[in-house]
Amino acid sequence: MKVKICLGGAVVALLISVGVLAPVITPYDPNQQDLLAALQAPDYFAGKFFLGTDHVGRDILSRIIYGARISLVIASTVVLVSGIVGVGFGAISGYFGGRTDFAIQKAVEVVWAFPPLLLAIAILAFMGQGLGILIIALVAQRWIPYCRVARGQTLSLRARDFVTAARSLGASHGRIIGRHILPNLLQAAIVIGTFAMASAIISEASLSFLGLGVPPEIPTWGSMLADGREHISTSWWLALFPGLCIFMTVLGINLLGDGLRDILDPRLKRASSGVT
Amino acid sequence: MGATASAETRLTLGITSNLSTVNPYGDSASHLYGLWGEVYGNLCRYSFEKGGYVGHLAEKWEVKDENTWIFHLKKGMKFHNGTELTAKDVVHSFFRMSKDPESSQKQNSSRKIKSVEAVDDYTVRMISHKPTSSLLSYICGLWAISSKDVYDKYGAKEADKNHPYGAGPYRLKEFVIGNRLVLEKAEGSPFLRPGSPDIVIVRKMTESEQRVTALLNGEIQIAQFIPPHLLTRIEKSKSARLVPTSSVEIMFLAMNPAMKPWDNQKVRQAVCHAINREGIVKALLKGQAQLLQGPIGPGQYAYNPDHKPVYDYNPEKAKKLLAEAGYPDGVEVDLYTPVARYVNDKQITQAMVPMLGAVGIKTKLHTPEWVTQWANVRKGKVPFFYQGRGSVIDPGPALSQYFETGVSPRINFSSAEYDKLMQAERAAFDEQKRIATLRQAMSVLTEEAPACFMWTHTLQYGVANKVDYQPRPDGRPYMSEATMKN
Amino acid sequence: MLTYTVKRVVGTVPVLLLITLLVFGLLQLAPGDPADILLPEEATHEDIAEARARWGLDKPFHEQYLTFLASAVQGDFGESFRYKESVTELLVQRFPATLELTFFATLFAVLIGVPLGVWAGARPNSWVDNFGSVFGFFGISMPSFWMGIMLILVVSGYFNLLPSAGRETYGVAGATITGFYTVDSLIEGNWKGFVDALSYIVMPAATLGVNMLGILMRVTRSAILDVTHEEFVTTARAKGLSGQVVLWRHIVRNALITIITVVGLELGTLLSGSIIVETVFAWPGIGNLLINGLGTRDYPLITGVVLAYTVLFVTVNFLIDISYGAIDPRIRFD
Repeated sequence: MKVKICLGGAVVALLISVGVLAPVITPYDPNQQDLLAALQAPDYFAGKFFLGTDHVGRDILSRIIYGARISLVIASTVVLVSGIVGVGFGAISGYFGGRTDFAIQKAVEVVWAFPPLLLAIAILAFMGQGLGILIIALVAQRWIPYCRVARGQTLSLRARDFVTAARSLGASHGRIIGRHILPNLLQAAIVIGTFAMASAIISEASLSFLGLGVPPEIPTWGSMLADGREHISTSWWLALFPGLCIFMTVLGINLLGDGLRDILDPRLKRASSGVT
Repeated sequence: MGATASAETRLTLGITSNLSTVNPYGDSASHLYGLWGEVYGNLCRYSFEKGGYVGHLAEKWEVKDENTWIFHLKKGMKFHNGTELTAKDVVHSFFRMSKDPESSQKQNSSRKIKSVEAVDDYTVRMISHKPTSSLLSYICGLWAISSKDVYDKYGAKEADKNHPYGAGPYRLKEFVIGNRLVLEKAEGSPFLRPGSPDIVIVRKMTESEQRVTALLNGEIQIAQFIPPHLLTRIEKSKSARLVPTSSVEIMFLAMNPAMKPWDNQKVRQAVCHAINREGIVKALLKGQAQLLQGPIGPGQYAYNPDHKPVYDYNPEKAKKLLAEAGYPDGVEVDLYTPVARYVNDKQITQAMVPMLGAVGIKTKLHTPEWVTQWANVRKGKVPFFYQGRGSVIDPGPALSQYFETGVSPRINFSSAEYDKLMQAERAAFDEQKRIATLRQAMSVLTEEAPACFMWTHTLQYGVANKVDYQPRPDGRPYMSEATMKN
Repeated sequence: MLTYTVKRVVGTVPVLLLITLLVFGLLQLAPGDPADILLPEEATHEDIAEARARWGLDKPFHEQYLTFLASAVQGDFGESFRYKESVTELLVQRFPATLELTFFATLFAVLIGVPLGVWAGARPNSWVDNFGSVFGFFGISMPSFWMGIMLILVVSGYFNLLPSAGRETYGVAGATITGFYTVDSLIEGNWKGFVDALSYIVMPAATLGVNMLGILMRVTRSAILDVTHEEFVTTARAKGLSGQVVLWRHIVRNALITIITVVGLELGTLLSGSIIVETVFAWPGIGNLLINGLGTRDYPLITGVVLAYTVLFVTVNFLIDISYGAIDPRIRFD
């Protein structure tokens, strides 16, 4: 159990530090092209391009390092936004009940009736490209698991002694939710969040594959993988390295999530799932 | 499979574009024009070997006066259900092209042609709206001739779907929308060659690695459009080879003079000097393209071999032009490209960004979805874009469409001199005079530079060694021209 | 049970209505017009206006939506702009392909994932467990299109074992009865057709199923671990029942409910994953249809396919809920 957290934590820590230090540690500008040096095979420690170059002669290592940054930003923003939206609505829904609950749960039902990737595809196809829109598309459904779990927990918390006590002391609804309920919802949300992070990274790659990713000047692992697939049989390094990065990162985050779940909330079964 | 099947020859073609509808007039994509041409037959087709139009269902044609054309049909042409093809079927086909609400081919017929009548069973008279010297380019290889009797009996939908009888070399056996089309040899058709395959299967396969893999392991025998970086896979193969064809699709960078800074001719010319086309062709296209020095290249009608290159790769000159235009400190622009519509389009435009940046044109690249991009181009809302125009054998229509004042708002270019030349070109029935006028118009265009003309792609087909096939520049897959070797 | 079913079905109606409204709304917001994209390059403004009128796009939003609803209720989703064919008919043609693919993918995931999980859970921290865990994480962390392309290159390209794309060899399959080629060929006793259909479905199904396989393996493992320490298991052991009997009759049975819940949850992911897998393998299902429809703004087709997916998804969820009752009679529906 400890091993999982350590391994996962190490991967995530590495990812974060690489992302933060990107401008310092990259050998080249990720968008700097050199057509004459296009599609050079990795030369590891021997020459200029450690992991080789892509179809327009950009350094793959530099792009991967910047890609870590973008992937991290995308994944954590998605998780944060969907967590806030989901837990918020879940708490409101469970706390107030009645019509509010009904309306929110209907919305949940509608959004949840879409197979996961479908809604994201529709949003991106219809709203165009951009980092912001990509994040909206990825959040569109990811807030639901938080919402469901938070609602369930709030329902039981509402009846607990400390809440009724606070209410009898005249605390406002906002105060009760903020001070007494939300802190109790955090554990579950963190566990859901780690898994959602992994699935967000894979979803970004899948959407890039369908041509619905981010604009071309932003290096993401997903778009590198999607572009590189065209060259798989002849210049394998284009797709292999970003593919490995996605794999390692998702693996690391999943390990971390698994470990966290074992510690924080062993009862919580896999509430959110990977999206292919 | 029984004993007959063992002798049956089968050819599978992997294509990249869609198989949209059984209505032979319902789409205007060039592969479908070709496939329907094989099922229904055309009046005439363009022969790249002969460099001109040749008869198919029609024997010959003549120009009676500048608005009247007479077509003489071959005798004894039979539809697959056994009835003979006559002039009334040609009239009917024109009716379907121009009046069928689902027709996508109106522009190729009724816009230029006022009426089509049957003079007798084997003679058809066509009257054009205006004198149009290039009328054949609106007919040959385009019109599919379908049976009037079948249509009258079953109606359009039922006829196309369940009774698709044509007079071409292949009968339609199966059509799975968006996926697969199967043709079967029409025994005794005069258009078949010895060795033409018995069964032709056309499959949609969009992933290029997959097309190549399928070709190499024998799932398909002809793979369309092998991208430059995969050529080596086929070169190394023992079972298949590459067969190139030039393309009649002209690629260009359009600059919309209705928007700044493109209103300035010098900025436009600066772009043309800033791009290292040789470098791009070498690195990204692996040499699979011919540079254009004007709107068209060798093999296209009215090409001028004496035309001197105007825009060499010259960053210094580009910088100077930009400064003269009033942008000594550079200018910021947005470039739009479709993705995966043209060969390596995104990669090519990506490579252009630093080239333009080097002369002071700071470029941001946008890759909108094609639907969005195309809608905006059509409305004239895109300032600077990478674009191709296909099927340019005779450049007249395409050059009018993109560059003549008021024809379409795509580029919003306007030049009185150019417009006058284009009008003169259409009215010229004397070939030498027409060619001279067209060449003059194209020089004006090159000089004014509402677009930088880039190149035409060399299209590589992967063909199994047991098949003899020469693909056509216009992308019509005439499968009766493929022969199986034993 | 019956009242429960009726309640669920009735409850679905407003959800579906809202979904159609959502899709319609998104389509309105989308840039790009179907007439612009579907008409040929030479089309004039009049042609485009005429096409828009024919497709009803010139009418106000609410009118378009109501017209759609009126015919959708009768099972008619209109005619595809691009394919000029009834959307309902297209769905009927393509739906079995997607279902068959999804079914085989699930089968692949369950048949490998569950035993592997049971095995790993029964012997925690053995080499089986460690290998299984790595394998499971591998499945979860693999983008499916990446795996699909790899399979094509290695299995079809390098070893030439299986066909790289499509669903059948032309002429081998017999008549279409159910639309599931594996089933159809068996009904007809067409052994060759069955093998052919299988050879085409193996790679797409494995690609689609690998993610679920990973998850199932891990979930099964932890469910087994959880149950192993429960009282009734200890009791059964104390009674002297053999290890295998306890494992399968007591432990696995009780873990089943967790496993089924997860299968249900993951089926949604699997369904949408089919959109990508169908694109990679040129599989003629509705996912393929959807991607083409999006690219041409084929409104009726997009709406039809999205509805088909959601109905399927909702149905699956419903079936999963019902199956709880079958496994554990203590669960009641009201």
